[in-house]
Amino acid sequence: MAQSPKAAGGLSSFPALLQRNASQFGDKAAYREKEYGIWQSWSWAEAEKEIEALALGLLNLGVNPGDFVAIIGRNRPYFYWSMVAAQSVGAVPVPVYQDSAAEEMAYVMDHCGARFAVVEDQEQVDKIIEIQDQLEQFEHMIYVDPRGLRKYDHRKLHEFSHVQDQGRAAHDELIGELKARRESLDYDSTCVMLYTSGTTGKPKGVVLSNRNIIEASKSSAEFDRLDLNEEVLAYLPMAWVGDFIFSIGQAYWCGFCVNCPESADTMQTDLREIGPTYYFAPPRVFETQLTNVMIRMEDAGRFKQWLFHKSMAHARKVGPSILDGKPVGGWDRLKYWLGNLCIYGPLKDTLGFGRVRVGYTAGEAIGPEIFDFYRSLGINLKQLYGQTEASVFITLQPDGEVHSDTVGVAAPGVELRIAENGEVFYRSPGTFEEYYKNPESTASTKDKEGWVATGDAGFFDEETGHLRIIDRAKDVGKMADGAMFAPKYVENKLKFFPNILEAVVFGNQREECTAFINIDLNAVGNWAERNNIGYASYQELAGHPKVLDTIKTHVEEVNRSLADDPMLAHCQVHRFIVLHKELDADDGEMTRTRKVRRGVISEKFEDLLGALYDGSDEIYTTTEVTYEDGRKGSISATLKVISAEVTNMQDRKVAAE
Amino acid sequence: MPEQLVFAMEVFLNGLMAGVLYALVALGFVLIYKASGIFNYAQGVMALFAALTLVGIMEGQVPFAHLINAILGTEIHHFGWHMPGILAILFTMAVMVGLAWIVNTLIFRHLVNQEPIILFMATIGLAYFLEGFGDIMWGADIKKLDVGLPQGINLWIDETTFNIFDYGFFIDNLDIVATVVAALLVCALVIFAQYTKQGRAMRAVADDHQAALSVGISLNFIWVMVWSVAGFVALVAGIMWGTKSGVQFSLSLIALKALPVLMLGGFTSIPGAIVGGLIIGVGEKLFEFGFGPMLGGATENWFAYVLALLFLVFRPQGLFGEKIIERV
Amino acid sequence: MLDASEGYTTEDGRKIGGVVMEMKNITLRFGGVVAIQDISFDIRQGEIRAIIGPNGAGKSSMLNVISGFYHPQEGEVWYKGAKRPAMKPYEVARQGIARTFQNIALFEGMSVLDNVMTGRIRQMNSGLFAQAIWKGKAEREEVENREFVERIIDFLEIQHIRKTPVGRLPYGLKKRVELARALAAEPSILLLDEPMAGMNVEEKEDMSRFVLDVNDEFGTTIALIEHDMGVVMDLSDRVVVMDYGKKIGDGTPDEVRTNQAVIDAYLGVAHD
Repeated sequence: MAQSPKAAGGLSSFPALLQRNASQFGDKAAYREKEYGIWQSWSWAEAEKEIEALALGLLNLGVNPGDFVAIIGRNRPYFYWSMVAAQSVGAVPVPVYQDSAAEEMAYVMDHCGARFAVVEDQEQVDKIIEIQDQLEQFEHMIYVDPRGLRKYDHRKLHEFSHVQDQGRAAHDELIGELKARRESLDYDSTCVMLYTSGTTGKPKGVVLSNRNIIEASKSSAEFDRLDLNEEVLAYLPMAWVGDFIFSIGQAYWCGFCVNCPESADTMQTDLREIGPTYYFAPPRVFETQLTNVMIRMEDAGRFKQWLFHKSMAHARKVGPSILDGKPVGGWDRLKYWLGNLCIYGPLKDTLGFGRVRVGYTAGEAIGPEIFDFYRSLGINLKQLYGQTEASVFITLQPDGEVHSDTVGVAAPGVELRIAENGEVFYRSPGTFEEYYKNPESTASTKDKEGWVATGDAGFFDEETGHLRIIDRAKDVGKMADGAMFAPKYVENKLKFFPNILEAVVFGNQREECTAFINIDLNAVGNWAERNNIGYASYQELAGHPKVLDTIKTHVEEVNRSLADDPMLAHCQVHRFIVLHKELDADDGEMTRTRKVRRGVISEKFEDLLGALYDGSDEIYTTTEVTYEDGRKGSISATLKVISAEVTNMQDRKVAAE
Repeated sequence: MPEQLVFAMEVFLNGLMAGVLYALVALGFVLIYKASGIFNYAQGVMALFAALTLVGIMEGQVPFAHLINAILGTEIHHFGWHMPGILAILFTMAVMVGLAWIVNTLIFRHLVNQEPIILFMATIGLAYFLEGFGDIMWGADIKKLDVGLPQGINLWIDETTFNIFDYGFFIDNLDIVATVVAALLVCALVIFAQYTKQGRAMRAVADDHQAALSVGISLNFIWVMVWSVAGFVALVAGIMWGTKSGVQFSLSLIALKALPVLMLGGFTSIPGAIVGGLIIGVGEKLFEFGFGPMLGGATENWFAYVLALLFLVFRPQGLFGEKIIERV
Repeated sequence: MLDASEGYTTEDGRKIGGVVMEMKNITLRFGGVVAIQDISFDIRQGEIRAIIGPNGAGKSSMLNVISGFYHPQEGEVWYKGAKRPAMKPYEVARQGIARTFQNIALFEGMSVLDNVMTGRIRQMNSGLFAQAIWKGKAEREEVENREFVERIIDFLEIQHIRKTPVGRLPYGLKKRVELARALAAEPSILLLDEPMAGMNVEEKEDMSRFVLDVNDEFGTTIALIEHDMGVVMDLSDRVVVMDYGKKIGDGTPDEVRTNQAVIDAYLGVAHD
């Protein structure tokens, strides 16, 4: 493909976009962060100065073009500046999940050979010092929060503001070099390298060029008519491609403001205070919020409950249609308007969605009830389908064409193809350059014509023409009798119940399907409190007979709905176990983005899996766990194996006749 | 509009005004109760005492004149001045602060950490003492109080309502003033409690003595302050009631009217005291208007208590009181 | 032993100053029961000083003597080079001695922010009438103090509960709020009464980190009592060991650890 290394208007890198933003809308807020209880803000002009000072400081420290700079911290303006400052000096920023364990971090930093790291605080500094011996190329570390670090050896450790100060002091000497490096950046220069957590194997470094990110940001921003007045809340991990696209890609392209929460725990309050206009959250977040609303409503007085349910019923009836601009009767509109005044509006404000114009969710399937709940409130929540390798966007739902079971149409500039085995392929300007130092994987994922395998199985919905994703292509298996086995489809159906946090379904090459289930401590705990059921631990609650009964009814309900679909009726869950611990990324059972690792789980809980298929009623097991501080321990429990009722398809048909 | 309804409206408005005065007294109770856990039975007598003192100072009465004359055989009764109302109010306030200090120093600081019932008994004692003391100090005769507040029918309302309903409402100017003053007082108290350092300290003391001490709050200072504020509220209530119906012993009985108000509104809630006062005021006037003739009149004497009893049965914490939750 | 006036430097490079508080021959009796018997020790500027001992050793009584809640029958308390007269607890607090309580004494009905703000009472000087009349000054004072308090809130990582009424918080967080309130007073000496009591391992580690950070970041002198020896030994510079109201050991953690009387007391050899 013949592509020009320069973009139109010379805006072919983020440092260039920064210059444009600083000169064209210099006074407009670019970053805000809540600190000491107050929203501090930086205009584009101020941000440009901060980034320049940091870039000069990096030059001063000896950062060379092509060096990798690891960025490790929660969403704060300083880290966004660090990424663009690194780009300005020709280096490649590599954001790393700040909650990764030391070994994971060591792997990533060693793989890219990072010479520098910008980190948040003592915790991260300690972690890197711990792994430093394994990192041959690593040299300097810069930290933002000096607390507790004063006594550390500062020969190769620098405070963020000091690096900036040194940069400012060396302005005259180094500015020429900085300008030269900035100007040498073009559309083909590497913009960022992001490690995908991957459900199997070691993480892979996805190399994304300026072309990838800027083109993807530009076309998606146009798709949803984003402009410089948007407000976003940056709270998702910085190492995740979505945050990079929203908080840097689109933010720099459009010139809108990125708001950083005070801490992870205050996110909900900060969301309310900022009232973003453009918002992304994984289904889990929407689910948690809905659960919280419902819990609070159960505590409310009878009149309030009645009013809430009454108006929500009306919202469900007409809300989505009003949102999609479909015809709705005047009387219904009036009732909806009243409801909005009394219930929906205040509720949206409390949730922080009062101003949301465009909201997206992706990553997992979202429960139809949850999706409809938000849409009926008048929040324009849509789904998208994306990947790190695609610079996020593969498909998007256009305004007015939103369905809970599809992921929309091909994003602007994206071509789609579905292979014979059902796997979805795409090709787009956002398609990644390569996996760093991993030509085999690159070749097996991206063919010579630029088509990339998503690894997901899907098909185009006949009615809407939208793409529907069923499952990971490799997870779609066959049962012993040759019927299709789509575990994720079943798991999602289970997870739509608020009481079920996670589910892992087994059945590949087996006679029947079985499942591990995690209860949602929040929802079930609340139920227990209301019903005066005491429990001391997650384990105790998860083993409570009443809880098991509830879960059983959920499983049976899923079985009934599966039985309606001839393709998936075989996937009904025959037996299940409610696990005694929450599946956790620290124990390797999930990825950092909270996708279950099927292989790890079936290996780790081999005994339980055996019990699911050998007909026993209960099983004693001991499991190793990792605590937050990295120490290991073990918990043991006797778990019940529960059989759920299965609906027979034949029976149904007979009954119907 | 039917005549009955128009009358009812007038009764309603008058009830609101009366309710404001109930609320004023109840407010004094709530303040002390919140800050020190003491149910101050003497609040009503404090209002009486404040009114007596105010009249005395205005008229230039010599305190303890009876006593002095009896002992020394003199015949002095008056200093011979007439003080303007506003100045006299300031002096009376100083007396109330002094009283607060004395009450705290002589009685309540010695009763720290005693059972609530003991404290309650102490306030009953204080009430009777203060009543007698007031008599000795200023004499037991009924006095007229006039600090220059407007009184009598509000002509503007009278005319306006007459034009609308063909019937002029009788609304006393004093009641209107009382309402405005009460509203201002409540705003001032809320601002004081929520946004000043002393208010924060007051809430802190109410919450936990030990913790308050450990951050450097002097309990005595706060208690004197709280009693002073209660004295101030009593003074305001005394002025309103005194102007309305003369300064006399029955003034102290309004304290008893505050009781049902508190049961309704909750003992710990400032908004509760206000809403409770209004409900009782309006309720008893409307009830008397609607059912009084049927029940032989004078329902105002018991209506408030019956309403309060009903509340005790169905919502013991009152409308705004803190929920009493026993966690098991 | 140590030089009384000069101070010293710890192994990890912290400067410990001269004596800021000295207890001289303190004896405290409740009726016939002797809670503290003739105990003397000192606290130096910038150090973490622990008082340990088994339950009922008189540690809490000692802390209450320092903070003015109890008045000893005999002995003297010297603070900043002068003998301290008998004082009320609030006067002691105003001299810059802040404390926490073993059973947590917070203002349950007030928000976390208000609780911590009460810690600033010593720094807020404008009187009631000044606040009413000269609004500007009082407002400025409120803002300045709020700023300080926000730094502490940030420091102790309790931003997310800033507006939450304290009564609704779990135990571990309450302990942290109480520490925040004490810190807000910018104390010369911070007294911690069993700061780790009732906490799980993780919370204990958090609290230890905060105690060390406070000492490190603000140079605050800290005196803490604790019966869990393990925690204390890692934290403190010097340790006083009490048993049955008497001092049975005083020195660095290492010295105390090898002291026979201390070992006996903890193993229960000396009594019963």
